[in-house]
Amino acid sequence: MAKEAELFLPLSQATYYILLSLREVRHGYAIMQDVEMVSKGEVTLGPGTLYGALGKLEKQGVIEKAIVQDDERRKYYELTDLGKLVVRLEYNRLKSLVENSKEIIKEIKED
Amino acid sequence: MTVRKFRLFIAPNIDKEEQWITEMSRKGLHLVKYEYFTYVFEEDPTKSYVYQIDFRQEAKRDYFQLYEDAGWEYVTNSMSIFHYFRADSSEASVQKLYTDNESIQDSFKRMISFYLLIFGLFLVSQLGLVVSWKGYLIQYIVAGMDIVFIVLYLYLFYAINKRIDFYRRK
Repeated sequence: MAKEAELFLPLSQATYYILLSLREVRHGYAIMQDVEMVSKGEVTLGPGTLYGALGKLEKQGVIEKAIVQDDERRKYYELTDLGKLVVRLEYNRLKSLVENSKEIIKEIKED
Repeated sequence: MTVRKFRLFIAPNIDKEEQWITEMSRKGLHLVKYEYFTYVFEEDPTKSYVYQIDFRQEAKRDYFQLYEDAGWEYVTNSMSIFHYFRADSSEASVQKLYTDNESIQDSFKRMISFYLLIFGLFLVSQLGLVVSWKGYLIQYIVAGMDIVFIVLYLYLFYAINKRIDFYRRK
């Protein structure tokens, strides 16, 4: 599965935050709110953009429909095992990017 | 008071259509219904809405609910594939339907596949004309109408592609 998960990397900023928001089962609007909060307002998603992204991610098997009893009007989502792996691999990728360049970046000064 | 206006917009000009309806709303005429190229407006000078149109086949309940949760009130539709939404123009926190260029391109790509399907079905349905061609006057008339239809569709594909290109470069 790790090989399969690596094919999704790198993730777009929006996709990364969407997957992070699904650390809990959420419906679409709750994802929008969480993404805005976690990204400190850096990433905002319109409902059309989000709806399209969720459809794609579901088709790719990264997320799936979650069963929630008392709300029939909204669709809830959760991460699949593949999705959990994808988001963790992306985190590691980003982390090593930052760590590897931490010292070097100081040598690149602004003119 | 209700006002009706007849107007033609082609699918790739969806944003011009949005601008026109939003402009009407600024003047106090708010779209409430769309039917066969006729826009039905209701007058209320105290309000002003921003309108957006979304192309979506097989729109289900969760789709409408998400848009509503995000602050977009459902207004009307055209052929159940073009959905008209509105939000109070004073509501600054409401996000536009599409917030990146990629998803706008995707929506035009969905539009192209839909019209390609119709175009394909049309071509198949007209095969009979070719097979049974005897050069009757009526056949020439039908063929003439077919050619007009084909040219219109080719223009439509060209125009949608141009929109996709525009957003790809942006």
